[in-house]
Amino acid sequence: MSLVQRIAALGRGTLELLGSLGRAGVFLLQSSLGIPSREGWYLWLRQMHFVGVMSLAIVLVSGVFIGMVLSLQGYTILVDFGAEEALGQMVALSLLRELAPVVAALLFAGRAGSALTAEIGLMKATEQLSSMEMIGVDPLRRIIAPRLWAGFVSLPLLTVGFSVVGIWGGYLVGVEWLGVFEGAYWSGMQGSVGFFDDVGNGLVKSLVFALVVTWIAVFQGYDLVPTSEGISRATTRTVVYSSLAVLGLDFVLTTLMFGELG
Amino acid sequence: MSDAMLVELEGVRFSRGEKEIFQGVDLRVPRGKITAIMGPSGTGKTTLLKLIGGQLAPDSGSVRIAGQDVHRLPRRELFRLRRRMGMLFQSGALFSDLDVFENVAFPLRVHTDLPEAMVRDVVLMKLEAVGLRGARHLMPAELSGGMLRRVALARAVALDPELILYDEPFVGQDPISMGVLVQLIRKVNQALGLTAIVVSHDIKETLSIADYVYVISDGQVMAHGTPASLDVDRDPRVSQFIHGEPDGPVPFHYPAPDYFSDILAERTGS
Repeated sequence: MSLVQRIAALGRGTLELLGSLGRAGVFLLQSSLGIPSREGWYLWLRQMHFVGVMSLAIVLVSGVFIGMVLSLQGYTILVDFGAEEALGQMVALSLLRELAPVVAALLFAGRAGSALTAEIGLMKATEQLSSMEMIGVDPLRRIIAPRLWAGFVSLPLLTVGFSVVGIWGGYLVGVEWLGVFEGAYWSGMQGSVGFFDDVGNGLVKSLVFALVVTWIAVFQGYDLVPTSEGISRATTRTVVYSSLAVLGLDFVLTTLMFGELG
Repeated sequence: MSDAMLVELEGVRFSRGEKEIFQGVDLRVPRGKITAIMGPSGTGKTTLLKLIGGQLAPDSGSVRIAGQDVHRLPRRELFRLRRRMGMLFQSGALFSDLDVFENVAFPLRVHTDLPEAMVRDVVLMKLEAVGLRGARHLMPAELSGGMLRRVALARAVALDPELILYDEPFVGQDPISMGVLVQLIRKVNQALGLTAIVVSHDIKETLSIADYVYVISDGQVMAHGTPASLDVDRDPRVSQFIHGEPDGPVPFHYPAPDYFSDILAERTGS
């Protein structure tokens, strides 16, 4: 490939990327703004069940295990310094600040994001979205908006659940099994976890991740090429893009939130 | 703009990527009649319906429905205009999470405030008209292709539209359901007095119900007229299409290098 061709390809790729970002932006605005009708609330509730409640099992089970592993690993290190009393603090801070928002978002992308992409993509491929348009119902409002809002709301809630069961998992291993003093586990946590700094920042992170993951999932479904290959590619893209976006944004957000705490 | 015409296309050009699909299509659909748009596969007939329904925008030219330029309407107005249209998709495009009854009830529920009892009556009337009142509790996945299209037809006329668009209504149907659909389309048109556009390449069936026919090929209107006048059209391209001759001005072969040298190329070339 000659240099000119390479430059042309780069330009074309950039234009395509910008075009797709523009479409995604307009798409987000058109579908997420506006006041829902009474039926809109019902549709949103149904999606909350599908997107949120159905993801509960995988998120909670993972939360328990991560809390348990965290506690076990933390203990083996802390005990060398005789600092196992700080276990509660360590488990709680790592979960609230990092692991709960990030891991819950990754699981959410895999469980709910991919399902959203495939569902919307299949609706597009079977012309259900087109037929809805022709009936005079805007699919952005009826299909997309409830799913977007269900994602925005449910991931932060799932993240809270993840932290809670993670801390409990850490308690099971640290206190019940390894014999760390129970009072130290809880009071260490109480003394070190700040509501705004730790709980609040973790929630802000998960809100950002919720927005990004749901947006990617729903847009990939809506914008895909309506063939079986197109659906499979879009589903893969949802998981890959969401995971990368979550991990990348996590670094940016962590720098902004905790960069000067050191 | 005359009142006699419900849909008017003027100089519609549309291209997809590099490929120009329509190079200036003019087309007029009279009120209360069945107008057929025919042409070989791949001439963009479905695309034409999407242009009429406002799902795609032409590069230039205009599409007017009842005097309103479809592509200049704000999004909200466009959706309002669509309530006056029904469209029958090739696949039926029923909502797969709703049963037959709810599919037909859908337009009524979203666009009217009718009480439940009346919704039920209307839905049952529409289903009775397509002969599927007994299938109201089935899910779309449990229906045959012909039944899917009949339910979709019932849904398309649920709001008694002025204009109905049929996308390849006869494709892939067995002779019985084909006959049923032909009869239904004619009956629906007569009973409701609506305007219909049928896109199809099933010549016999389409000519039997159409009042006026447009034949589209190579991005342009190749011929138009009543079914009787097209039947005796001398233009070899029209005649080939209307009489279903395998070879003619529209070649049987996709453009290819010479057959003989192509076969030999493999042996000499490698």
